[in-house]
Amino acid sequence: MDKPRVGVFLSNCDGQINKTLNFKELIKYANGLAGIVYVKQNKEFSSAAGLNLIKEAIKTNDLNRVVVSADELITSMVKISQAVQDVGLNPYLLEVLYLKEHCALPHKKEPANATKKAKAMILAAVEKVKLQEPIKTLEFPVRKSTLIIGGGLAGMQAAIDLTDMGFQVTLVERLPVLGGMSSYAGKFFPTDDCAPCVESPSCGLNGITNTSRKCIYRSGFSEIPNLNILTNSDIVAVEGVPGDYKVTVEKRLIRLHSPSAYPPPFISLRQQTHAMKQIFEYKGKKERITLDVGTIIVATGFELYDPSNIKEYNYGVYPDIIDQLALARMLNGFGPTKGSLIKPSDGSQVNKVIMIQCVGSRDERYNTYCSSICCMIALKHAKLIKEKFPEIEVNICYIDIRSGGKGHEDYYEEARELGVKFVKGRPSEVFLDPETEKLIVDVEDALLGKFLELDADLVVLSSAFVPSTGTEKLAEVLGLDLSEDGFFKEYNAKLRPTETKQRGIYISGANTYPKDTPTTSLHASSAALKAAKFMRTGVITKDQKTALIDSDLCGDCEFCPVICPYEAISLKQLDDEHLVAEVNELLCEGCGTCVGTCPVNAIELRHLSEKQILAQINSLVSDGGKDLKVLAFCCSECGGTVLDSAGMAGLQYPSNVRAIKVPCTGMLKISHYLEAFNAGADAVMVIGCKEDGCHYEAGSEKAKIKVDFTKRLLGLYGIAPERIEMFFNVYIEGLDFVNEAKAMTEIVEKLGPLQREIL
Amino acid sequence: MKVENSQFYKEVTSKLGGETLTKCYQCGTCASSCPVARITTRYNPRLVIKNALLGNRAEVITEDAIWLCSSCYNCQERCPKGVEIAEVMYALRNIAVKEGHVPLAFIEMASNLINEGRLVPVTSFSLRKRETFGLPPLKEAGVTALNKILTSTSFTKTVEKAKEAAK
Repeated sequence: MDKPRVGVFLSNCDGQINKTLNFKELIKYANGLAGIVYVKQNKEFSSAAGLNLIKEAIKTNDLNRVVVSADELITSMVKISQAVQDVGLNPYLLEVLYLKEHCALPHKKEPANATKKAKAMILAAVEKVKLQEPIKTLEFPVRKSTLIIGGGLAGMQAAIDLTDMGFQVTLVERLPVLGGMSSYAGKFFPTDDCAPCVESPSCGLNGITNTSRKCIYRSGFSEIPNLNILTNSDIVAVEGVPGDYKVTVEKRLIRLHSPSAYPPPFISLRQQTHAMKQIFEYKGKKERITLDVGTIIVATGFELYDPSNIKEYNYGVYPDIIDQLALARMLNGFGPTKGSLIKPSDGSQVNKVIMIQCVGSRDERYNTYCSSICCMIALKHAKLIKEKFPEIEVNICYIDIRSGGKGHEDYYEEARELGVKFVKGRPSEVFLDPETEKLIVDVEDALLGKFLELDADLVVLSSAFVPSTGTEKLAEVLGLDLSEDGFFKEYNAKLRPTETKQRGIYISGANTYPKDTPTTSLHASSAALKAAKFMRTGVITKDQKTALIDSDLCGDCEFCPVICPYEAISLKQLDDEHLVAEVNELLCEGCGTCVGTCPVNAIELRHLSEKQILAQINSLVSDGGKDLKVLAFCCSECGGTVLDSAGMAGLQYPSNVRAIKVPCTGMLKISHYLEAFNAGADAVMVIGCKEDGCHYEAGSEKAKIKVDFTKRLLGLYGIAPERIEMFFNVYIEGLDFVNEAKAMTEIVEKLGPLQREIL
Repeated sequence: MKVENSQFYKEVTSKLGGETLTKCYQCGTCASSCPVARITTRYNPRLVIKNALLGNRAEVITEDAIWLCSSCYNCQERCPKGVEIAEVMYALRNIAVKEGHVPLAFIEMASNLINEGRLVPVTSFSLRKRETFGLPPLKEAGVTALNKILTSTSFTKTVEKAKEAAK
């Protein structure tokens, strides 16, 4: 490492913090530190003039490390980082601290102590940056091609979007036909037009006009030049890394339909199940195809839950009890009954239909979630029946009608106008009256408090939607997580609903949760956009902020490959047959969970080494004096932001609380806590993200375990375990942090200095 | 109508058997499955639970609805939310008993248990019948041993209190 020549730049934020911090003293202090060659105070370092001061100083004084106390959280740092790069300094040799938000504002009422804390913060930053090595920027190639798994509406929409943008797409569908659910449901809400309908591809196919939407066969979808469709095919294996996946596909060599076949092939759930069985048990010839793709979009959709599990509804026992999909087929002119409503048992005319909602959904015994689209399907079908056959009576037994969505409430209203009757109650049983040979639905209308025995010619069960058969297996092949309900788990359910924990693999459509067509099409386009963003430039540019393994120390324990949330660590066999961990630079996100787990301290982060952590601990708490010190280890995501928000709001907490930031609390080791106590801390706070909101999957959870273990250790040493505590915070909880900081201070004030307990 | 005790649900869920009360979403599967509700309007499990959730404590505890459950468990088997309805009725009865709200028929059954070791006393009529059919005499009920248990578990005391309250 070259000899550090550090420059320190202190902003007084245009005079905002002059009164709290004694800058004369701070400058004098900084000048006295080892390795410092230049110290400058200015009113700001964010404008062109301010940034120029830094640039000029770097050039004139040949600085190779820079510490800046900036004016504004984060935004200043981005500008300063660019400025130092402009004059040829690696941006990782810059350390930015925020004396305003993290010291002056929250300790306004104790200026002398605030200045003392500011010194410690400057020292910590200087010591950290002195130990920092430059970090390289790496580039990885990305193939501009996508594999889409599933040829339903979601898969087709994503394929149209990506091919329109110029990417090469392979669409794999396990059935013989495309269209998914739409290929056997007739009409979809909220437009009441045909279900098998897609956006027109805009690639200029001969004779195909580019209007708003088209029937699948009319769209020319199968003829898109940069689209390769493989029906009757399954994904067998996926290997590789984001941007470069090798996919093995097996194609069953049977040809029954053209890919966009219509009329639809299946009549009911039973027929579909039968067809699926044939596919799963296919013993004939298969062809193996290997694909090289940059990204993968999973669009495997959903299917109906089999209601025969719910014995009291007798589905499968009496043929006149059907599901909504079978009703959709009946109402379709191309369906088995050519659009007329007849009893499957004897082909006679149906006079009365009863629909039952929430069959197998919102039910602890089967699927706990609300299947979300069944209310609308029932309303749509009730409307279609009443419009075509006004004389047929339709009753819907419901618990709650959920018609949220654009235009959806209109269906509810129109259904009432058409004479559909609503019974608020979940039927307890459906049985066949032996005398009249009619189906009887037993239900309490809760609004009337009356028991009704409704007779019906046709009972339609609004069965739950569940993930498609094979979802679990596919998740395993792709290395994706499933939620508790069995659907694919989103990277972040709130903001990144089409991404997964695997960069380069996206989820789209109803395989994350039951969706109607408008939501599916939005979701699919989102997945396509995310994939396109990833592939657009053909390279992934990434700073090498990764874990570094010391192969001399590492050996044979296999902890880190298991613990890494990104599966970025694998084991490599050395010549002497011992196994050492190897980090995949592309997959590693630099969280440090492996660092916190390694039992032999063989792993470090390039952007925060062990030495740097220890140097900061020492700098922050060993400035002497009688006052008691609390050291807060904060993660750099939600957890640590409470320091920002508390500071910005000017909330006051004791200045003896000092903070050190780490990428994730999951990287912290018990030894770090003990080092903190050893260095002079009287208490330790660990602040991470909420346990289920950790940005690196399970870091907070792991940190909590280690904090609890440290408590036990302290107890064994005769030290009060209350001296260490874990907290879980998010940005808006700045006030909670202040209270936690005050509480910790009170605890150490009550316990006295740690030294007293040890001696 | 004013809700009398909005915290009543907490009292119920803290009792053995009452834990699942708040899972109810009033679908009415229980009521529709209930053989008792079919023959009397005095008992509807859904309404008992609704009142308990709302906090109509006095109505739930003092009226005889909770005592009409026949413990057939139809409702409990079919409840989609896993509300243990029959168990909730027991929890509510336990609260009622503590406050002296027990229907006379139940006090009588309890007294029979204490005095004769049986919920329904054996009449001389049925004993004579047994004799004519050539059936052996019934076994002794073991009243002394049973009473030891009933006393040490405060059953006897609870019944006496309920008797007092009923007067």
